[in-house]
Amino acid sequence: MENAELVGLSRQMTLRRQMDIVANNIANLNTTGFKGQSLQFEEYIMPVAEASDFSFRDRTVSYVQDINSHFDLTEGAMSLTDNPLDVAVKGQGWFVIDTENGEQYTRSGSFKIDQSGKLTTSDGQTVLGEGGPIVFSDTDVNISIAADGTISTQNGNRGRLRVVEFGNETALRHVAGNRFTGDGARPAAAAEVIQGALENSNVSGVEEMTRMIAVTRSYSAVASMMKENQDLREAAIRQLGTTNN
Amino acid sequence: MKALHIAATGMKAQELNVEVISNNIANMRTTGFKKQRADFQDLLYQDLRRVGTETSDSGTIVPVGVQVGSGVRTASTARIMSQGNVEQTEKALDIAIRGEGFFQIDLPDGRTAFTRDGSFERSPDGELVTIDGYTVVPGVNIPDGAKDITISANGSVQAIVGNDTTSTELGQIQLARFTNKAGLEAIGDNLLLETNSSGSPQTGNPGQEGYGDLLQSYLEMANVDAVSEISDLIAAQRAYEMNSKVIQSADEMYATTTNLR
Repeated sequence: MENAELVGLSRQMTLRRQMDIVANNIANLNTTGFKGQSLQFEEYIMPVAEASDFSFRDRTVSYVQDINSHFDLTEGAMSLTDNPLDVAVKGQGWFVIDTENGEQYTRSGSFKIDQSGKLTTSDGQTVLGEGGPIVFSDTDVNISIAADGTISTQNGNRGRLRVVEFGNETALRHVAGNRFTGDGARPAAAAEVIQGALENSNVSGVEEMTRMIAVTRSYSAVASMMKENQDLREAAIRQLGTTNN
Repeated sequence: MKALHIAATGMKAQELNVEVISNNIANMRTTGFKKQRADFQDLLYQDLRRVGTETSDSGTIVPVGVQVGSGVRTASTARIMSQGNVEQTEKALDIAIRGEGFFQIDLPDGRTAFTRDGSFERSPDGELVTIDGYTVVPGVNIPDGAKDITISANGSVQAIVGNDTTSTELGQIQLARFTNKAGLEAIGDNLLLETNSSGSPQTGNPGQEGYGDLLQSYLEMANVDAVSEISDLIAAQRAYEMNSKVIQSADEMYATTTNLR
């Protein structure tokens, strides 16, 4: 009899987690290069007791389980910023960032120059070019970045941004700071670098709002189901427990 | 359920975004003002089912795990140092810089500040000063009775003094430039200070490579673009609203749970 409650609880747990994901997507509505996530569920069938003596067969009980959170890798809208150090990738491609935890990959090209002239991300991590970090000299002006990632100034070539792609992008893992980690990076074949633009977050506000409403509604639906189940049990105890005299 | 806290980080971030945008709009007509932009980053992720872990003895692995993020944070409010438009003022001591450099200003406390605001004046004792009365470095002394002051593109200040028929050189304006000018620290009054991340200033005459030219009788306007600021403002406000809705519905879910009994 408790099965209904347990099944309900499994659903509520996944709904809470889905709510967290929706909240994270909405919180990152304005985060450059952010990729929205969604949760996928799976039926989890409880193994039944083996007994053939009953007149009716045991029915299987299905729980729900969140099986994976995949991120939506569609390209976010480009917004023009006219800032020479803002770059966006068009097509499949990721910038390579050198961090203390090894190479990480990002679609957020809001770059800066640090005190030594090195190209960095907005939190100060080194951006890697084909031949290591990209360093500007003190007198460099008019930084221009070509579609293939070649960076040049009036003093000449300063290197080329390393843009990579992955055979299986869905296997990438989110880490903080708009960055991802993963294996099997290879030079991007069809990516194009656009200077003076940033890729917006690909989260669609409307979609997330509807998903959020759906989550709250199903949550309360499960709750009322559990309530009814409880009432049922209460009624059963009351009726079965009363003696005839 | 972390949704409440996640949405709170979102609201905080958008609040700061609105602050940055409103400061840009407020300074739309401030000489030499450089707009700022808030850059956001996502926070840590929690692995509930880690990608790549084995799911059976035969070596099958989880292709995509379950990762739940924990919100957003502001990475920087970087100053965008693009050139502002120049506007003619017909005032001899207004100077605009076309290029990378900054004017150097001596602060009363002995530090040197940097500015793009070239609306200078002549102090009672003839020094070239900012509108707050701080001297421009290196000093240019304009004697009494100097007329027809001309400031050339490469910074030399000349004027006709007294009854002379030819102009005399009064001084040379120098500019400073930085490896990372976005790393300068703003202290208000259109002034910026050098920091560890900006690197130390290199000085040179205007017209030299990488320093920029001077333009007399012009002022550099703010590089704020009203249209894009307003559209950013709308986007920020909507994002704020959506985050507040998330808080509401997370609250509703808690209420549902509480009302179970």
